[in-house]
Amino acid sequence: MSSKTQQEPILSVQDLTVSFEGSRGVVRILEGIDFTLYPGEVLALVGETGCGKSVTAKSLLDLIPQLSRQRTGRVSFDGTDLLKLSNRELIRVRGRSIAMIFQNPQSSINPVFTLGEQIFRLIRMYLQDAIDQICKQQNLKQKTAIGLIAKEKLVEVGLTETDRLLKSYAHEVSGGMAQRYKIALALLSSPEILIADEATSALDVTVQAHILKLLKKMSQKTGTAILFITHDLGIAAQICDRVAVMYSGRIVEIGNTMDIFQKPLHPYTRGLLEAVPRLGEKDPLRFISGMIPDLSNPPQGCRFHPRCDHRMAICRTQKPIYKNKNGDHAVACHLYNAKAAG
Amino acid sequence: MPGALINIENIKTYFPQKKTMTGKVTAWIRAVDGVTLKIFTGECLGLVGESGCGKSTLGRTILKLAPLKSGNIRFNGKEIQHLDDRGFQPFRPKMQMVFQDPRASLNPKMTVLQILSEALAICPEIDKKQYAQRATELMNMVDLRPEHLFRYPHEFSGGQQQRICIARALATQPEFLVFDEATSALDVSVQAQIINLMADLQKRLNLTYLFISHDLSIMEHICQRVAVMYAGRVMEIQDADALFASPRHPYTKALRDAVPIADPTKKDGMAILKGEVPSLLNPPGGCRFHPRCPHATHRCKNEVPEADLVKSGNWVCCHYHKTLWKKGFLENERNK
Repeated sequence: MSSKTQQEPILSVQDLTVSFEGSRGVVRILEGIDFTLYPGEVLALVGETGCGKSVTAKSLLDLIPQLSRQRTGRVSFDGTDLLKLSNRELIRVRGRSIAMIFQNPQSSINPVFTLGEQIFRLIRMYLQDAIDQICKQQNLKQKTAIGLIAKEKLVEVGLTETDRLLKSYAHEVSGGMAQRYKIALALLSSPEILIADEATSALDVTVQAHILKLLKKMSQKTGTAILFITHDLGIAAQICDRVAVMYSGRIVEIGNTMDIFQKPLHPYTRGLLEAVPRLGEKDPLRFISGMIPDLSNPPQGCRFHPRCDHRMAICRTQKPIYKNKNGDHAVACHLYNAKAAG
Repeated sequence: MPGALINIENIKTYFPQKKTMTGKVTAWIRAVDGVTLKIFTGECLGLVGESGCGKSTLGRTILKLAPLKSGNIRFNGKEIQHLDDRGFQPFRPKMQMVFQDPRASLNPKMTVLQILSEALAICPEIDKKQYAQRATELMNMVDLRPEHLFRYPHEFSGGQQQRICIARALATQPEFLVFDEATSALDVSVQAQIINLMADLQKRLNLTYLFISHDLSIMEHICQRVAVMYAGRVMEIQDADALFASPRHPYTKALRDAVPIADPTKKDGMAILKGEVPSLLNPPGGCRFHPRCPHATHRCKNEVPEADLVKSGNWVCCHYHKTLWKKGFLENERNK
């Protein structure tokens, strides 16, 4: 998408490395993460358990345990480097400019307050202007105006029976309703970026379809960029514009959804796509042999080489660099560098 | 067609929700509400449905792990529904279960050998001295190395732990296995390994499976027939290859259309089903699906649809499935 590359990116992550110090020494969870996010686009971050996709998202807002973590690199957002901000400064970014929704909606809602109390509080924080305006225009009390805005925002995400909902507690609503409510909360501040961390993994397919369509529609309407973290390649194919494939702390391939699914370059991406069960197929499933490497003692060179069918001598010793790093379809694999070199 | 290993007739499993001061139950959760089906020897029957539709409860009821309210369960022709725990003991080795979370279903304080021996102990015909040898055979069966017998569960990855769970279920030489979301907690590449292992074991040992999952796309890879459950009832049972290519029930179609497909060229997917899953405390009358069905009529509201045989072993519970089928309402829109 050439039009996208010409646009100014809203978030650009350069060489982000995160490591933790533990009893077994320093564990490098992320190693040189590079990606950019453009306004209004949906970028998928896919990979298996433990590849570091959630840590990537959380380290952007510094939501990982802060005592033992070390971060290097640069995360440019709105002219500032998020990694250099203090906690106090980050509070202004969290939720306001970069919002996040999590996997299990019911457990990310405060169980001791009603849904109404929680959304009212955020409306007072973010939408004071709108409240004043409604109060003046319709000659209402502040409280009534907040109630009106809350209902309007809930209707926007497709919720019905808003009166009952505002009086309910987290455990009284279904998973689909709770996740829609969380999306409404996340969008209150009209954030520039929404990070969805496995936002639909705990939901049924029918509910998931609702939520995914809603997110896509919201992103098109408001221009919010979405970083969608998922292990489900189906979701990535259906709603995302671009896909980044992660393996063991690195992005191994990033490109337009079409390119990734139709012309996957990295052997890991190919293996992952072949392992996906599809409707209407009966052949035995293919799989990638071997196991995810131990991050405290990762393989030298390319971290995928012990499981790779195409490994060469160079893979064992040298870390592959990105080919076509700033283009539409970047890949970190020696196969392509060797070819390029002749 | 081979005989039915499991034959259940109109089984109902209710859980008490509210009790009065005197202990009288005033409200029941009707988790399974009148299910009739047969599982043939050597087949893998899939069971799909949304969360809370009663699919796990159905699996547990067959193994007598959930309280049965009424109905008949026959295993190999013998009625087992009235048996108490002691009476059911001879059947236990023949019917085993594998659960969703392998980490939670393995005792962290036991080595793999102890875990497998514990299962072997309920088979009276196996001598204690043979445990180690039998455990080694089991490890080979699930592609784990025999030297792993002396390790603890936490030393294995999720996929390997699930293999241990399968080995434990196979220890008693069962005829019937229930997999309750056994691959849902695993990554796709590991899931593929476990599914291939399960299919391979089924062929080698002539096992009968009930495979419970909410993931439709893995059904065709392992199951011969698939039952679709909704709000405590089975809506239809069809051969796996026919079910998703040409569903007969509007709910099956809705379920299939909601699955995101890992192919960006088929973008018009993910059709949306309106409404919410009904409460099992007070499920809708008539056809359970009628409040969300786009084709529902007055008849669906009042009349419970009977199972209509499509062909041997395939049936549908819908008043209008023939008309809908003829008019092409259930065709796959993605293929158009």
